Amino acid sequence: MTTPATPTSGVTRADIDAALDTVLDPELGMSVIALGLVYGVTITGGDVRVTMTLTAPGCPLHDVMTQWVRTAVARVPGVAAVDVVLTFDPPWTPDRIRR
Amino acid sequence: MLPLGFLAVAALAFALAALTLPWIAGELSGHYYHPRILALTHALTLGWITVTILGASYQLIPIVLERPVWSERLGRWELAAVTVGMLGVVGHMAIASWPGLVWSAGLVAIGVFAHVTNTALTLRGLERWSFTAGMLAMGFTGLVLTTLFGAALGIDHVRAFLPGDFYARLHAHVHLALLGWVLPVVLGVSSHVYPMFLLTPHPSRRVVAVQTTGLALGVPAVVIGLLVAPPLAAAGSLAIAAAVGAHVGWVVAVVRSSRRPAFDWALRFLVAGTAYLVAATAVGVALAFGVVSGPRWALGYGVLVLGGWASLTIVGMMLKIVPFLVWYRVYSPLAGRAPVPGLADLRWAGTEAVAFVALTAGVGTLAIAVGMADTTAIRAAAALVLVGALAFAATLVTTLHHLLPCPLRAAVRPS
Repeated sequence: MTTPATPTSGVTRADIDAALDTVLDPELGMSVIALGLVYGVTITGGDVRVTMTLTAPGCPLHDVMTQWVRTAVARVPGVAAVDVVLTFDPPWTPDRIRR
Repeated sequence: MLPLGFLAVAALAFALAALTLPWIAGELSGHYYHPRILALTHALTLGWITVTILGASYQLIPIVLERPVWSERLGRWELAAVTVGMLGVVGHMAIASWPGLVWSAGLVAIGVFAHVTNTALTLRGLERWSFTAGMLAMGFTGLVLTTLFGAALGIDHVRAFLPGDFYARLHAHVHLALLGWVLPVVLGVSSHVYPMFLLTPHPSRRVVAVQTTGLALGVPAVVIGLLVAPPLAAAGSLAIAAAVGAHVGWVVAVVRSSRRPAFDWALRFLVAGTAYLVAATAVGVALAFGVVSGPRWALGYGVLVLGGWASLTIVGMMLKIVPFLVWYRVYSPLAGRAPVPGLADLRWAGTEAVAFVALTAGVGTLAIAVGMADTTAIRAAAALVLVGALAFAATLVTTLHHLLPCPLRAAVRPS
């Protein structure tokens, strides 16, 4: 579920991934990218939608992580708006961790 | 902050129990039915273990059940009642003042009733009963029965009314607390949080079924058996051992398959606690079948259960929960706006290492020393446990000091 950047925005998936790599699970010390929590990134002009999950439903970091992702992505040059969609379908499994 | 209040009271009770240990080495080399040993036992079971679980449940229930706690205000009243009641129970036991004990136990019962009411109203309408939710329900039922049983034992001291053998009732009360209250909660919560800590799958349906069946059959059998039919207790101990075996096998599997990059001291405590659970279960089954007997084995068994399995597991859980609660309160509002520390940065690895070595070695040595009734060895082992408890307290203080106001954090904090 990845959309290439439009020519006008200059925002690329690599830019977004780099920003998401700064968002760390404080308990594990691993980024949301390394944990495989990001299910998809859609870039439409300067609008970015991140679809992500958490390691477990009811995770107490629910609000913190989504806000952290929103802030990190919003700092990428060219990003005008950020939408973070949290889903548990499919549920996260340890197989999604990047080796 | 509600869970932190409970955990602080529990940690103080643990430190108090550890501080008294070297001074009651003489009593620990005698029979276990002694006012100071009863006081020590209740400082651990009620002040340390129960208060920790009550507090942790206010943190874990919203995670495990995916819904907020019904009333935090009721939780604050509960904390006051349980704390004052626990101090009264422990103090009156130490001086063998039974009327005061009964009043204090009544206060504990009010606190327990408040907690169970809060949990029941939180669970109300729950559509999907997970293994963890079922174990919590079983555990809180066990807590209510243990509290009522304990209060009845206290009243019986003032005005005798209970039938049967005194020690049979005492043993049944202890095992109702350990197997009917603490064990289900530990099995249920660990099945949910260990995979979060270790990045591994949850236990299979077969493992869960063995644990559920083992406890459902084993706990009533052990308690009723201890009261009226010893052979039933022996059979029940096998059912408990099956549940424990399924849990331990799963813990070994998840530790071996962990995807976590670093294995911290908290996780080492949890593994050490599990190892002590194996030893305690083996001794418990041997006691149930009469392979071993007598107050020396019973005291050693008590040390393995309370000091080994329960205490090491709780220390491990607390080293996970407290930094998280502090981080969430202090640093989560800053996440993404300023560099924030990880949870590992809130701990003091040096004191955690000292606590691990001293507590795991101290408890094992203490179990052997009380088994041998060697006062000198008991005092030495107790001193080691005390060192571990103080190191654990230093770790908690290191973490909690982040709650103090800091100009840098205040500068970045949203208004």
